[in-house]
Amino acid sequence: MTPLIYSTLIISLGIGTTLTFASTHWYLAWMGIEINTLAIIPLMTQSHSPRATEATTKYFFAQATASATLLFAATSNAFFTGSWDILQTNNPLTYTLMTLAMAMKIGLAPLHSWMPEVMQGLTLLTGLILSTWQKLAPFCLIYQIQPHSPNLFMALGLLSIVAGGWGGFNQVQLRKILAYSSIAHLGWMVLILSFSPPLTLVAFSTYLMMTFSLFYSFMMTKTTHINSLSTSWAKIPTLTALTPLILLSLGGLPPLTGFLPKWMILQELTKQDLALVAVLAALFSLFSLYFYLRLSYAMTLTMPPNNPAGTLPWRLNPSHNTLPP
Amino acid sequence: MTPTHFAFSSAFMLGLAGLAFHRTHFLSALLCLEGLMLSLFIALSLWTLQFNTMNSASLPMILLAFSACEAGAGLALLVATTRTHSNSRLQSLNLLQC
Repeated sequence: MTPLIYSTLIISLGIGTTLTFASTHWYLAWMGIEINTLAIIPLMTQSHSPRATEATTKYFFAQATASATLLFAATSNAFFTGSWDILQTNNPLTYTLMTLAMAMKIGLAPLHSWMPEVMQGLTLLTGLILSTWQKLAPFCLIYQIQPHSPNLFMALGLLSIVAGGWGGFNQVQLRKILAYSSIAHLGWMVLILSFSPPLTLVAFSTYLMMTFSLFYSFMMTKTTHINSLSTSWAKIPTLTALTPLILLSLGGLPPLTGFLPKWMILQELTKQDLALVAVLAALFSLFSLYFYLRLSYAMTLTMPPNNPAGTLPWRLNPSHNTLPP
Repeated sequence: MTPTHFAFSSAFMLGLAGLAFHRTHFLSALLCLEGLMLSLFIALSLWTLQFNTMNSASLPMILLAFSACEAGAGLALLVATTRTHSNSRLQSLNLLQC
């Protein structure tokens, strides 16, 4: 892809999210989301492989449906209440439909089935943009819809934590694991949204930092499968020693940073007399912890047998950046 | 719910059902997507016609522009799918299963 087109697409991604952040009119917010979708489609099909094309197709359908439903909900709200203001969506049908449309956009259960397959077909960099940047604009809109009852958000949140944990159980492909981890983390964020929105922002910012670092460490070792993850000790030993910290932080173990949002969310839920929800959320995130632990076990805590085929990869890539061993 | 609102809501719901339950062809899903956008275009035009001012008269046109871009992207993906998977049936999009 020529630099001009590439920079146009990246700038369009930036413009789309900024437009949604800056808008108070539902139409402008929808336009920003559409620009985001249209800008990332060519980035996804860059490699022209069948998997990339299939991933882009599935992504396109999910996002286009969700955008159209969002605009329909906004138009219905205008017909009901006469206002296009984002902060004034009062009609229950309308804001429920908007929440479901945004849930499909970011990949919350039960509308999450496109996420693992789409993530699997992309390169790690595009998957990173998909998991971090593309979540900002819909999340901004979810944040601004004043939730009148916590039931929908709690249902979406709990289902996402369950789906994200349980779905990632049997995966060996790293991109699918990252997709399920994203689903589970977004479930935690949405769970607490109707009670304490600042906690949602805490959870979101820690998720962004942790996911960005994990994607980047996978990009540096160029791994997409647990098998190749297990030979990364030969490529960048320092990174191999430090990646379990990121993985366990994503799993929510104290004293790492990833524990902080989970702790505060559980505390807020118990303050709201929802101890059962808190227990369910904590128990189902044990499933996610299992596959993070399996990744760190394969990467750091074991050293694969010294067969020549296993140590071959580090000889073939002298040109990528390595940390000093 | 006014009759106008009901009309475009039912049109949208029919298109959404068509998009959710498409079974064989890629192109039918794209057509349902266009149907969704068309119902939204009608909705925004009727919204504009309810007032005497031209405040929101540009909304349907901008929707048309975005919908055309999206349709173009969808058709490009149809062509790409036909190139890589040799047909555009949705059952052949099965490379990325768990």
